[in-house]
Amino acid sequence: MNASYLRFAGRRLLQAVVVVLLAYVFTFVVISVLPGDPVTNTLRNPENGFTEEEIARIVAYYGLDQPVVVQLWQSLSHFVVGDLGVSLRSNLPVTRLVAEVVPSTLALAASALAVALVLAFAVAYGTQNLPRRYGQGVLRALPSLFLSVPAFVVGLLLIQVFAFQLGLFRVIEPDGAWATFFAAVALGIPVSAQVAEVLITGLDHESRQEYAAVARSRGLGQARLFAKHLLKPSSLPVVTVVALTVGELLGGALIIETIFGRTGVGSLVQRSVSTQDLPVLQAVVSLAAVVFVVVNLLADLVYPLLDPRVRLDRAPRKAAGQPGPEQPTPEQPILERQVSVP
Amino acid sequence: MTAATTVVGSWRTASARAWSGAVPPTVLLSFAVLLVVLLWSLLPGVFATQDPVNGVPADKLLGPSAAHWFGTDHLGRDLFARVVHGTASSVTSALVAVTIGVVVGGAIGLVAGSAGGWTDVVLARVVDVLLAIPSFLLAVVIVSSLGFETVNAAIATGVSAVAVFARVMRAEVIKTRRAVFVEASVLQGGSRAHVLLRHVLPNASRSLLALAVLQFGLSILVIAGLAFLGYGDPPPASDWGLLVSSGKDYPTAPWLVYAPALVVVATVLSVNRISRWLRRTA
Repeated sequence: MNASYLRFAGRRLLQAVVVVLLAYVFTFVVISVLPGDPVTNTLRNPENGFTEEEIARIVAYYGLDQPVVVQLWQSLSHFVVGDLGVSLRSNLPVTRLVAEVVPSTLALAASALAVALVLAFAVAYGTQNLPRRYGQGVLRALPSLFLSVPAFVVGLLLIQVFAFQLGLFRVIEPDGAWATFFAAVALGIPVSAQVAEVLITGLDHESRQEYAAVARSRGLGQARLFAKHLLKPSSLPVVTVVALTVGELLGGALIIETIFGRTGVGSLVQRSVSTQDLPVLQAVVSLAAVVFVVVNLLADLVYPLLDPRVRLDRAPRKAAGQPGPEQPTPEQPILERQVSVP
Repeated sequence: MTAATTVVGSWRTASARAWSGAVPPTVLLSFAVLLVVLLWSLLPGVFATQDPVNGVPADKLLGPSAAHWFGTDHLGRDLFARVVHGTASSVTSALVAVTIGVVVGGAIGLVAGSAGGWTDVVLARVVDVLLAIPSFLLAVVIVSSLGFETVNAAIATGVSAVAVFARVMRAEVIKTRRAVFVEASVLQGGSRAHVLLRHVLPNASRSLLALAVLQFGLSILVIAGLAFLGYGDPPPASDWGLLVSSGKDYPTAPWLVYAPALVVVATVLSVNRISRWLRRTA
């Protein structure tokens, strides 16, 4: 905890706050300014039978007659103190709607992350310890395959095999242990591919180092070498990658929850999209940004503590979103891919 | 001088190696798959002679056979014809998305990397914001604002890819700007635009190309995901994601899911393989 670390932490914290606020503004602009005015569309729908006067009153109640900038300011100042507004559809506070669905999605995302990590470390272990001729090539191709299969296909396949054929779980009980597990597998597979790629690159790099050669020459077996020497330096970048995949877990939950019939943030988003419940959409998207920013902030703050090689004092200003401290990543393993694979 | 020779030299040997017949067989296979996909999207009628929109109700839910390679759906439409006729829309929208990402993201990265100073800081935060919002969520929100059409899904996917391109472009620009040959060009009186266009852009283009190809595969998946959720063109359009989505309602006819899914996987796998190859030979 020296001065340079604190300076770095302070700067990152400030950046995080700015990014969250800007993300809110950006979402607001996307939702409110883009063509199409869903609120008035819904109100003017003859089926709802509102008179012009009533419409004017409702519009005034929600502050929709104000200029956009005023609306944005009001909404932002409420957001800062934790007030997410009221759902247009159910008239319930958005905070309550979101709080209801968060635990389910959190459980799904956490299990998916666990599945992804186990899978990634298993694949990475295999690429180092299996005989070169058998298995290694297949394992090395796995991350690429995992990134090429849409998550909804994996989900449907798992349901087809384990629910319909083997009867391991029932589709009408989406919160059962097996159902959650398989949903987590479907959500975790693309994430595991990214973790595995980073791990494999790191392991390959480390095993070429001189200290590895020395250890081998002194008779250390490949498995011991892997566990005692190679694994630790190679898994450090995993911290950063995992933090970056948070967005993917949240975005992917949209599709996985639909397929497995779970109630969660994803299904809330879908319902809000189809009913044009803008306050809910705005809240979910900004909260997702908050989660992403906080997790990445933590990862950045923890990293220099985990890896003493990281030097903060002369850390140049980093590229957008790039983890703060200088990292001893051997080669850029993947082309900084962020986009979630649904 | 050494830096200049290494940069230029590695570029030349890389392209020489890449095009001198040392193309791995899996890459050739990947190009073949993409060629088929391209032909399907350009000339769907040649490859699938059956009607993708009007089916023969008597032939509904038939399994794959010689007459119907991918079987038929619940209206007796030939699934192969539907997949082939849906190719153009699925592939073009991914191309549109990548183009938006490359142009907008590339421009942001180029400006941020070459201007430096406050411009860089501001643009870095803008990109941070785009990164912070989960891209699939962002795409869903944008497409719900613009309206549920495949074009809008493509635009949404493109916007959510801007940040990645901006980052890579910025990193490349900064890397190249430090090269000795760029300094030399500046010393010889080259204008900023001249240096950017003649020296920085060509050197960045290889990384950007590999990323664009990777992003193309990813965009196919994202757009398929949006179509799967019903945020693309409605039926009788036959985007790949939509086909999977409507096929899932018939668990007794699994080919309705797996045939289009297989086409998606084969396409994206090929694209990823080519991107990996481009990166390695860069």
